[in-house]
Amino acid sequence: MEFRPKILSGGESRSDDQIMDAHRRQSPGAAMPGLPEGEDSPLVIMELLQRLRVKDVMRDHDIISVVRTDSMRFAQNLMKRNHISGVPVLEDRRLFGVVSVNDIITALEGGWIGEPCQKHMATSLVVLEEDMPLAFAIKFFQNYTFGRFPVLDKNRDFVGIVSQRDVMRVLMHELTNELARLEGKVAAPTRAQSVEKGDGALPYYSMRQFVVVHNDLSSAGKAANEIKRMMKDAGIDNKIVRRVAVAAYELEINICIHSVGGTITFIIDKDEASVIAKDRGPGIADVEWACQDGTSTANDWIRSMGFGAGMGLANSRRVADKFDITSKVPSGTTVMCTFKLKP
Amino acid sequence: MNIADIVKTLDGTLVAGGESDRQVGAVVANDLMSDVLLNDAEDILLLTSLASDQAIRTANIVGAMAVVVHNAKPLPQTMCQVADTLGIPLVSSPLSKYESCVRIHAFLEGEGKR
Repeated sequence: MEFRPKILSGGESRSDDQIMDAHRRQSPGAAMPGLPEGEDSPLVIMELLQRLRVKDVMRDHDIISVVRTDSMRFAQNLMKRNHISGVPVLEDRRLFGVVSVNDIITALEGGWIGEPCQKHMATSLVVLEEDMPLAFAIKFFQNYTFGRFPVLDKNRDFVGIVSQRDVMRVLMHELTNELARLEGKVAAPTRAQSVEKGDGALPYYSMRQFVVVHNDLSSAGKAANEIKRMMKDAGIDNKIVRRVAVAAYELEINICIHSVGGTITFIIDKDEASVIAKDRGPGIADVEWACQDGTSTANDWIRSMGFGAGMGLANSRRVADKFDITSKVPSGTTVMCTFKLKP
Repeated sequence: MNIADIVKTLDGTLVAGGESDRQVGAVVANDLMSDVLLNDAEDILLLTSLASDQAIRTANIVGAMAVVVHNAKPLPQTMCQVADTLGIPLVSSPLSKYESCVRIHAFLEGEGKR
């Protein structure tokens, strides 16, 4: 039986942005997440949900499973013995389906409890991908009635299971640490700080997201400065740090002065760092023109603040190893600058 | 040329950011922050007329060793706070940018550095 897991991903980050923007509007004094100034913002929770990955919370060992030829009775006994309400049907890390308590009850009622699982398991599955932000997993638990979700890697191989209890356990642990950090009781190891110096391995990749508010020039640049600090603390080469910081700064200023607002997302792993600037409009009609040196639509007020020289996109492209831009009028612009961390 | 030399040469006052032993590696006189970001030099001394938080944040991005604001412009409190937070010496000078450039050039000539 050919099974293609139904992977729900992407497209939902916008709602996170909107939540963060809405919070920002309601609390104009609140700092952006992760910033050293005013770190007492409750936005740290939102930032935590974006920073943690599904693989940070999932169980990837001692997974109880059945194979397709096992009987429904076998699955029933397995679930009863281990006090669980569902088992994945697995063979060689490939996920074929899930047998749930409901399937067992139906089998008992229908008289096919002795038949193989492959005939009665659920095959239209909702699964999570291991690199999805934890916020996605939480939304899945809100949107579906399932108590747990199988987790697949990029090759669609089964890598673990995440339940609501798993999410709560890790989230409580991380929140406790975060609260302690905010209270100044412990040193603040960030994900980026766990990047080892030199050729050391990065245990997992790190992501931080910063909200950029339209025309709030007094705050513009905070995200870039924080990104610079994170990279310096992680022991990244100074020249690379500077290039990443310049791109982040230019893109942050661009969002601030040219868009209705957006986010700067910083992602780093052991090989690359990426800065993604995403705004919600009004979009750029002629992207090629906008990327040329000296082209600007900035007004006099912006110029009086030292910006609007029309160098933002050009500067970002100059310092990045890879530069991608997509824009649509009026929905917005996304710019991604990628930097290699090793020669 | 260190921060003490800068203050003395430009008749300035160190208003925020604290003392530093760093030496001037290059001098950039500019009010357009994107132009400043284009510069690849290390240990930049930023001479500007821009009295805003962004001058300090830009200086931090390029790793500047100090910022001098000219014409005795009043400095916003937030600018001083950002300079203190980021540890970037902020100097206020009554001179024009042009006069500062002339004096710094003369000083560095005297030091044998150009």
